[in-house]
Amino acid sequence: MKSVEIPTSTQPAVYKSNLKPIWCPGCGDYGVLSALCKALANIGRPPHEIAFVSGIGCSSRIPGYTTAYGFNSVHGRALPIAQGIKIANPDLLVIAAGGDGDGFSIGGGHLPHAIRRNLDITYIVMDNQVYGLTKGQLSPTSPCGAKTVTSVYGSMEAPVNPLATVLGYGCGFVAQGTPADLPGLIALIEEAIRYPGFAFVNVQSPCVTFGSPDWQLPQHKKTLKKLIELGHDPANRLAAFDLAQQYGEELHVGVLYRNPNPPVTYDQLVRQRQAELAGNTVQKDRILEMFKVA
Amino acid sequence: MTKSFGSQIRGGESSCRVRLSTSKVLSAGGVLNIAIALNWEDYNKFGAELPIDEETLVIYEAASQTPPDALPLAVKPGEAIAVPIAEIARPFGDKSKNMVVLGLIAGWTGIAREALLHGIEKKLGRKGPAVLEPARQAFFAGESFAREHPLAVDRTLSPAPQRETPLLLGDGNEVCAAAALFAGCQFFGGYPITPSSEIMHLLSREIWKFGGGFLQAEDEIAGIGSAIGASFAGKKAMTATSGPGMSLKTEMIGLATIAELPLVIVNVQRGGPATGIPTKSEQADLLQACFSSHGDAMRPVLAVTSVADTFATTVEAFNIAEHFQTPVVLLSDQEIAQRKEAFEPIDTSRIPVIDRLRPTPEQLDNYHRFAAGADGISPISQPGTPGGNYLASGIEHNEEGAPTQSGVVHERMLQKRFRKFDALQRRRDLIEIEGDLDAPIGVIAWGSVAGVCREAVAIARENGLPVKLLVPRLIYPVIEKVYEEFFASARHGLVVEQSFQGQLYRLLRMYVNVPDGFISLARPGANPLIASQIARKLEQIASKSLQSLYV
Ligand SMILES: Cc1ncc(C[n+]2csc(CCOP(=O)(O)OP(=O)(O)O)c2C)c(N)n1
Ligand code: SF4
Repeated sequence: MKSVEIPTSTQPAVYKSNLKPIWCPGCGDYGVLSALCKALANIGRPPHEIAFVSGIGCSSRIPGYTTAYGFNSVHGRALPIAQGIKIANPDLLVIAAGGDGDGFSIGGGHLPHAIRRNLDITYIVMDNQVYGLTKGQLSPTSPCGAKTVTSVYGSMEAPVNPLATVLGYGCGFVAQGTPADLPGLIALIEEAIRYPGFAFVNVQSPCVTFGSPDWQLPQHKKTLKKLIELGHDPANRLAAFDLAQQYGEELHVGVLYRNPNPPVTYDQLVRQRQAELAGNTVQKDRILEMFKVA
Repeated sequence: MTKSFGSQIRGGESSCRVRLSTSKVLSAGGVLNIAIALNWEDYNKFGAELPIDEETLVIYEAASQTPPDALPLAVKPGEAIAVPIAEIARPFGDKSKNMVVLGLIAGWTGIAREALLHGIEKKLGRKGPAVLEPARQAFFAGESFAREHPLAVDRTLSPAPQRETPLLLGDGNEVCAAAALFAGCQFFGGYPITPSSEIMHLLSREIWKFGGGFLQAEDEIAGIGSAIGASFAGKKAMTATSGPGMSLKTEMIGLATIAELPLVIVNVQRGGPATGIPTKSEQADLLQACFSSHGDAMRPVLAVTSVADTFATTVEAFNIAEHFQTPVVLLSDQEIAQRKEAFEPIDTSRIPVIDRLRPTPEQLDNYHRFAAGADGISPISQPGTPGGNYLASGIEHNEEGAPTQSGVVHERMLQKRFRKFDALQRRRDLIEIEGDLDAPIGVIAWGSVAGVCREAVAIARENGLPVKLLVPRLIYPVIEKVYEEFFASARHGLVVEQSFQGQLYRLLRMYVNVPDGFISLARPGANPLIASQIARKLEQIASKSLQSLYV
């Protein structure tokens, strides 16, 4: 179904499939798709070397709109699948994506483990503070007081803070962007992909249909604060925590944290272990010798 | 050798049942020939698991001060002999009681004394003479006691014939893991759970040597998820679990079905539901294996029938998964998974290994992932292959992989996903039938109970009953023809299994006309099924069925 030629030039169009997105007109996810394709074009890996995994939700449709090898799986499970792919073939460029419900609610149990294992995977969450696909229920990032079809009188729960959470779990690369600043978002995604380890990008990607009318791209544009302009040093994890505390109040865009000394990744260790033990390979036809009684 | 434990993590009661024979051992056995009780309280905690009858020799700790005619047992054994085991062992250290007992058995039965001494040396030799020597002395002390106290009935066994090729020794979990490597498994993802964890232990040690990868996941969902990811990436992949973990994996099994990704899911059954009885065997996950997951989803279900059979059946599970691009559930049970069995060397050169169908260069020129030939199978590409790019999805999709909501496409894809299993109906070799094909009485059994039934059928035949046996290794899809032929002559018989509901019996009744004369003999887990009792039941059935010939 996808374009079959290997790109000779790295045009963003090479990464866009000919499937027409089901997204509502004006959905923030269009901007994410476009930023991602541009970032991939800048990096230049051919689509067939990319594995792009998602869960379920409006945002999780995104792999199908690219020419990469896509996997639109089940709700909340993008990260386990992405890790299996990366361990099985570390040569691939592996990206995972989905919504805030997908990543922080049903799939929330996988996130700390993906982070601590530190495979070289980029995880993009399209955070719209609402359940889009299922038509407007409360999401784990909906602010307290939010009125939705499941919180008619206002939410009684405090939201998850994705930025502080992933920083706390020890994520080596943490960034936030918005399609309201497309060049910034392209740069962030590109940097996240280039980061050698697990990289997390929270994209404030508004839902025009069920999201708060007061929190759409025009408001993003007006209120966003570029971390670079604030003089933030992304190597400073404590400063990153301070900024992360303001999730939901301030729209910080840029790299909050980039580990200046990225540790070895799990996929590199997999390779090392395979190489160390390859000398001990047992011939398959002698495999039962382990059951010999001496 | 079957071990059984209470639920304590360390210490507490444990039992170990050893069955020795010069011919093939088919099951853990029923009534004990020799029972050894180090104390009665612990012995009786195992209840029906350690049955005794009028022929059993009972050896017990004299310090219990129980008179031989007042043992706390329901049956009076053939002979009971009190031995001051602790007292004999005392000079050799408090861990020597087992060695004394080995000596007693060697003395009274003449079982391969040299082999036992060799075993002791193998087990303890590494710990140095300070440990090994007292153990040997304790063994000799037990042996002398036996010599000085002859039994009322002589139980000396004739020596075992020498074998040319020595037997192999392993448990079902280890053999399953080894078979996975033989089949080319290069990824394991899973979460520890009794009684399946040993599969993961062995693979975490060995899989790297075969260029593979391993993940101890955060839960069973991630375990199967990572395996699905690895399979998508082109590697043969496996996950292994037991009941509760199987329940968690359910949604993902459906995902592998609709995305048509090869995957082997091992469920080592234990007592259920929920936590149930984690350390004891049961066969109550069969219906789950066949029918869990929502939607019209079909997956083959295989079951191992012994430790040795676990090798071929595990390889078969991979072959079916790869050929049909499907998840396969491989059912084992605690009894097989954790018992040590001595088995004949397996000629692995005769076991084929099958890989998934990959697209040809021409097919990659215009690749449609789910475009199928007449057999419903489509070549499967993998990331890294130029031109093979596609979208795998849990959403219904058309031949190209594009998401769809169309009922027409849905039906067409369902037909494809079901049609591909038609070929499995020809795999008669995966159902074993033993005995006279025209026999009027039949037994059907699966998993570890198959071994018990092989013995039961042998006993019944010795008693002149015309009985045949059917053991499915491929349980689902039900190969209807095979059962219909089986029932053509056998209008009476038993479906024997270790579950409360009789799950195989119910499954068969869904697909085949099971004759009224076939009865479900089902007992829940932790209660052993005993060959002699099954044989007796067959005799009752025979006398009734022969009567019915004349009414
Ligand atoms: C196991 C399971 N539970 C529930 C659903 C229904 N469901 C699909 S998407 C979704 C939430 C969507 O919200 P989010 O992940 O934030 O993505 P968005 O649609 O907003 O992009 C839910 C609850 C499902 N598909 N699977
Ligand atoms: S419902 Fe919201 S999230 Fe979903 S496509 Fe429409 S705008 Fe986007």
